[in-house]
Amino acid sequence: MIGVAHYLTLAGLLFTLSVAGIFLNRKNVIILLMCIELMLLAVNFNFITLSRFLGDPAGQVFVFFILTVAAAESAIGLAILVVLFRSRRSINVEELDSMKG
Amino acid sequence: MEAVIFYVFGAALIAAGVGVVTSRNPVHSAMFLVLAFVTSAFLWMLLEAEFLAIVLVLVYVGAVMVLFLFVVMMLDVKIEQARAGFTRYAPLGIAVVLIIVAQLGYVVWARTQEMSFLQAPPRADAGFSNTELLGSQLYTDYAYPFELAAVILLVAIVAAIALTMRKRPGLKVQDVAKQVQVRREDRVRLVSMDAEKGE
Amino acid sequence: MTVAESAFLIPDFAPAAAEIVVLFMACVVLVVDLFVSDRHRWITYGLCLLTLLMAAMATAMYVPRETVLTFSGTFVSDPLARVLKLFTYSVTAVVFLYSKDYLRERALFRGEYYLLGLFATLGIMVLISAHSMLTVYLGLELLSLSLYAMVAFSRDDPVAAESAMKYFILGAIASGCFLFGTSILYGVTGSLDLAEIRRAVATLDGLNIHLLFALSFILVGIGFKFGAVPFHMWVPDVYQGAPTSVTLFIGSAAKIGSLALLMRVLVEGLGGVQQSWGDMLLVLCILSMGIGNIVAIAQTNLKRMLGYSTISHVGFILMGFLVGTRQGIEAALYYTVAYVIMAAAAFGMILLLSRRGFEADELDDFRGLNARSRWFAGVMLVVMFSMAGVPPFLGFWAKLAVLGAAVDAGLTWLAVTGVIFSVIGAFYYLRIIKLMYFEEPSDTLSLGGGSDLKLVLSLNAALIVFLGVFPEGLISIFNQIVTTAP
Repeated sequence: MIGVAHYLTLAGLLFTLSVAGIFLNRKNVIILLMCIELMLLAVNFNFITLSRFLGDPAGQVFVFFILTVAAAESAIGLAILVVLFRSRRSINVEELDSMKG
Repeated sequence: MEAVIFYVFGAALIAAGVGVVTSRNPVHSAMFLVLAFVTSAFLWMLLEAEFLAIVLVLVYVGAVMVLFLFVVMMLDVKIEQARAGFTRYAPLGIAVVLIIVAQLGYVVWARTQEMSFLQAPPRADAGFSNTELLGSQLYTDYAYPFELAAVILLVAIVAAIALTMRKRPGLKVQDVAKQVQVRREDRVRLVSMDAEKGE
Repeated sequence: MTVAESAFLIPDFAPAAAEIVVLFMACVVLVVDLFVSDRHRWITYGLCLLTLLMAAMATAMYVPRETVLTFSGTFVSDPLARVLKLFTYSVTAVVFLYSKDYLRERALFRGEYYLLGLFATLGIMVLISAHSMLTVYLGLELLSLSLYAMVAFSRDDPVAAESAMKYFILGAIASGCFLFGTSILYGVTGSLDLAEIRRAVATLDGLNIHLLFALSFILVGIGFKFGAVPFHMWVPDVYQGAPTSVTLFIGSAAKIGSLALLMRVLVEGLGGVQQSWGDMLLVLCILSMGIGNIVAIAQTNLKRMLGYSTISHVGFILMGFLVGTRQGIEAALYYTVAYVIMAAAAFGMILLLSRRGFEADELDDFRGLNARSRWFAGVMLVVMFSMAGVPPFLGFWAKLAVLGAAVDAGLTWLAVTGVIFSVIGAFYYLRIIKLMYFEEPSDTLSLGGGSDLKLVLSLNAALIVFLGVFPEGLISIFNQIVTTAP
């Protein structure tokens, strides 16, 4: 029988994968943004699972808002990315080092 | 049956996640992310969150990922230089990830089994509408958060336009009104000339 | 899950009048700004100040003084919320005023700065009045998204774009961690409502493994928004890279948002397990005080130095919270308000000294300021002494309140650590005073800046002196408004 622990573990693995991606991909900002999307997907998974097993719609409502906010967030993130690319011609994370201290 | 669906789509989801993190090309990463969203949508159906599953496909696969791909194409990032192997942070990253996996494994897997209050409720009957439930909640109890979400989307619009729209000097555009209003005298000048005489 | 059949009542809108005013006026500004030419941009600026004034009236004139819940328990209006909101309006108005000349000289005097500033203010207000994890999250994101855009606002400046990208990535990761913690908390308590969470947590053991797991993820998010070590990586870069007017906003008004986040989630929602999060905050507190003060000494850029100084002040704010007594929370609130007043004046001085094509953000730019303007060297002296915690300025009483709360709770060793670190920190504040008074100026131009900027900046410094000489008034306000203690 598939229980709450199965789903939560799946979401936890997905969350861990996204954290791993953030640590490993120090090269490309776009992939960092995708890892953040993956992270939010894991969070949504948690909420939906708990919403079902608690029998409470509030979790699903929260997911609705996370989806909305994440869309807004990626729009702003990509806009900043475009500004960055226009001014530096690069989106390599390791080259973002003009400030030190 | 449920177990089979869970394991098949769960495995696909994890594989897609690994693909997002490790593939060398941002376009492939984006495609793997699409796969992750679609498989999640199936699993959400299994959790009786039909409306959100459909929204995930429509909004995420249909809009957000298209935006991602659009930016990837527009910026035209050199793939080879973008992904020349993993960085010096890789060992640290792997260590951190292993710690989180161990913690998650202990807390979520080992200890959640004991939580008796989270028994799976019976399946809803065929006539039940998940969308209706969410709608009735959103426009009553959650009206205030709903308005706030609208404000956040407005901020995103304002910010994205303010950051990326720029008026380029010397850009050539048509002014249709001017073109329509033009009169014959503005364009054609009749000059009377004497016929030239051959010498 | 069944469709709720209970009758739904139209909620009471009056407690949220200020939010409605700010949102309505932000939309008006958005439209008006479209039709205003660059020469008449002051109209946008004036409308924004008017908005803050109207919001202040709406908040002040709302009659019920006790705690009122509305919008199905997602919104709360209590004495704490009203005082913090009124403080937010005044700080934001001062920020807008300080920024005007700076933006105008850099061709950044566009409607978007003020508009995003208003939306960020709305985000802070939502956070202050949040009574559900959902509204906490939405307020936090409204504030953060506006700030990301404001940092990147100077589009042709590669350093600003770089710091905006760092801020965005780290902020989004922090939000993700906060949400992950929230989702587990939802599983443990079965609710998103802060009062329900408080009730459910009271029945749990403080060492409940799921609860601790949720708490640690939530604290990552809170630590990041505050800029506490080890989640401080963005602070120096953003402070240095952003346009100074935006740094001013992040360093002053946005800190009230972080404070509200901590108050609502940890103190109100999770007050029952204060012991658990207090221990986690202890680590953040000591690291922040230590690293903030020590690294600040090595800085040559004033904005960056103030960034590290913020980190050390955050350590003190967290000290008040981790003590866990009512006295500690009052002290932490008092410290935050005092810090915001001082930070506004410090960044105001940088804005005053900067001119067209010149950012006065290096320490050397303050060299010999006394010879250029005695009055404003005195203003900077007051601010630096106050930040260092020298009596009788405001910063001294704030430090004293926090340290006193720690000693009363039996954490004398922590108070001693705090004193040692602030003595180390005094070094870099005093270095600026030495530069201003005992060295020759490297540039002899007289100070720019409009008379309104000079007037308000002087008033700001006068307030620091006044609240230092007569500290009782401000302390007693916080005495009255703290209703929940863990």
